[in-house]
Amino acid sequence: MSASIRKIAIFVVLGLVIGLPSAIAQTTLKLATVAPDGTTWMREMRSAAEMVETATEGRVRIKFYPGGVMGNAPTVLRKMRIGQLHGGAFTSGELAGLYPDFFVYGIPFLFHGRDEVRFVRAELDDRLREGLKARGLTMLGIAGGGFAYLMSDSEITSGEDLINAKVWVPEGDEVSALSLELAGVSPIPLPLSDVYTGLQTGLIDTVVNTPAGAIAFQWHTKVDYLTDVPVAYVVGVLAVDNKAIDRLSESDRRMLIDIMSSALERLEEINEADNIEAKAVLSKEGITAVEPAADEMEFWHELAGKTVTELEQSGRLEFELLDDIQELLRTYRARAAVEQHQ
Amino acid sequence: MDAACFKECDLSPAKTRPPGLIVVFLAIGLLLSTGCSTLVSTATDRFAGALSAGILNQDDLDTVRDGMPAYLLLVDGFIIENPQNSALLLAGAELYSSYSGAFTDDPERARRLADRAREYGIRALCSESDVLCEAVDSPHEEWVAALDAADEDNLAALYGFAASWATWIELNSGDWDAIADIPKVEAAMRRVIAIDPDFRSGWPQLYLGVLTTQLPPAFGGKPEVGREFFDTALAKSKGQNLMVHVLYAQQYARLVFNQALHDQLLQDAIASDVRAEDLTLINVLAQQRARRLLSESKDFF
Repeated sequence: MSASIRKIAIFVVLGLVIGLPSAIAQTTLKLATVAPDGTTWMREMRSAAEMVETATEGRVRIKFYPGGVMGNAPTVLRKMRIGQLHGGAFTSGELAGLYPDFFVYGIPFLFHGRDEVRFVRAELDDRLREGLKARGLTMLGIAGGGFAYLMSDSEITSGEDLINAKVWVPEGDEVSALSLELAGVSPIPLPLSDVYTGLQTGLIDTVVNTPAGAIAFQWHTKVDYLTDVPVAYVVGVLAVDNKAIDRLSESDRRMLIDIMSSALERLEEINEADNIEAKAVLSKEGITAVEPAADEMEFWHELAGKTVTELEQSGRLEFELLDDIQELLRTYRARAAVEQHQ
Repeated sequence: MDAACFKECDLSPAKTRPPGLIVVFLAIGLLLSTGCSTLVSTATDRFAGALSAGILNQDDLDTVRDGMPAYLLLVDGFIIENPQNSALLLAGAELYSSYSGAFTDDPERARRLADRAREYGIRALCSESDVLCEAVDSPHEEWVAALDAADEDNLAALYGFAASWATWIELNSGDWDAIADIPKVEAAMRRVIAIDPDFRSGWPQLYLGVLTTQLPPAFGGKPEVGREFFDTALAKSKGQNLMVHVLYAQQYARLVFNQALHDQLLQDAIASDVRAEDLTLINVLAQQRARRLLSESKDFF
């Protein structure tokens, strides 16, 4: 990150000393996000936007539409296509309709821990960036949101428990739905906006979210148990239409991406700390953390493999990174096993 | 006895400062409540009542900012002498909440003062109801069940505690422990209006308006529920509490991206007379905030 800051500083200095092409008109990038105004996310975004405006001497302004006022992700993507918006913040799953490989970080039970995520992302984030670019969007930054866990009103420590539960799956998340079906569960698809009401009415009794997300959406008042096994890794992406980015000069473009990606890196650090704190708060709020027995743990982890195989064989979606992610995980686990024996 | 005194004395309303992420409420209903307290002499009653009217009807913010610390110390002293007196404890909770929420620029100091406000609030609640006292730190469902035990006799304590809790949450909004408490404060305020919908002329509804407009619809928020609370608060305060207009604009109109409503509410607040019984100070604060929000309108929408 410090390298990025240095780069930004150099750009700022260059901008001040030699000036930048004045022929380039001012551009206002209109970005939508569901994060409410006043949240950490929006504070970081607004502060980064100010830095961009200063660094580009006002040539690049960013206007945010917070709190989902521009609609859900499909609506935002549609508005981007007709030029009403230039970009927005999305979860990885929300971009998967455009680029299915954004599903891969969220394959249930794929990752066994944070270190594996770091290892894989160090290789694959850039590939996702390139793939997204080829599909018309420029990634301004990517931020890990942490692991989502199963939270439920009765204990879930086995596949059997899960089969008996009324499990929510995010609407449109085909990979999670497939994974649950392979586990013998009939998941109930709902948009995020209906989950709290679903818990209230008993339509669903089992949800998946990060600890911080569960508290922010007040789901913690409707569940009693947290299954202490990481289910899926959540990623947030700030992306802008290539056409809007291409209008900027090369130096403005680089400043924009450097500043915004640094902001998202900071947010990832904040998210990690938040989730640790939030998990402790859930326990304080009376939510009991439960762990599956060792053989059940194997069941969960095998489910990830089955999901990947099914995804590859069914050809329902076209993935480019499935082989790579599996290879990276094999490498990491083999290395970790060797280190453990030493 | 204190509770009865509260009812008779018609405590002055809590006041609000516009919130950031959650809710900041200025609660300056302290002084009349102290006037009610059973411990104080008639002379002190008169003194506190006069001081209360002085603060609530003051239109110079600096005078209040400079003068309030003396009163914080005064209330501390009374509480030390009368540690179980719920009226005094509530006065302390409200005074410390007000000062920390509206007049303290240093965030650490504000949190320290809000801690004390919440502590006084809990002690007030505990002095009135064992059931509620024991449930404060319990999981949500247990707190909600305990709220059934609240009745008219401990309404003031429940409301005062919930108000100090709301300020404490706002000042600790980076803390997940605090954020997790939002539904509990909402449940407490809902219980207050279930017992007496007219309690404090719309102030509980104003809190609820803010508490129910934290989440956008995409996350399961229901802004229209918040709008109903704001409308009720407007009606019950007869439009005289300008902080209702301001929070309505800031919380609801911004959340649903309605610039016309946002600007109209703020212009109404700015054009109104700040002078209203026991509302002058809050109205001055509200107009100050309204001007700022209106100046941001073009950038926000």
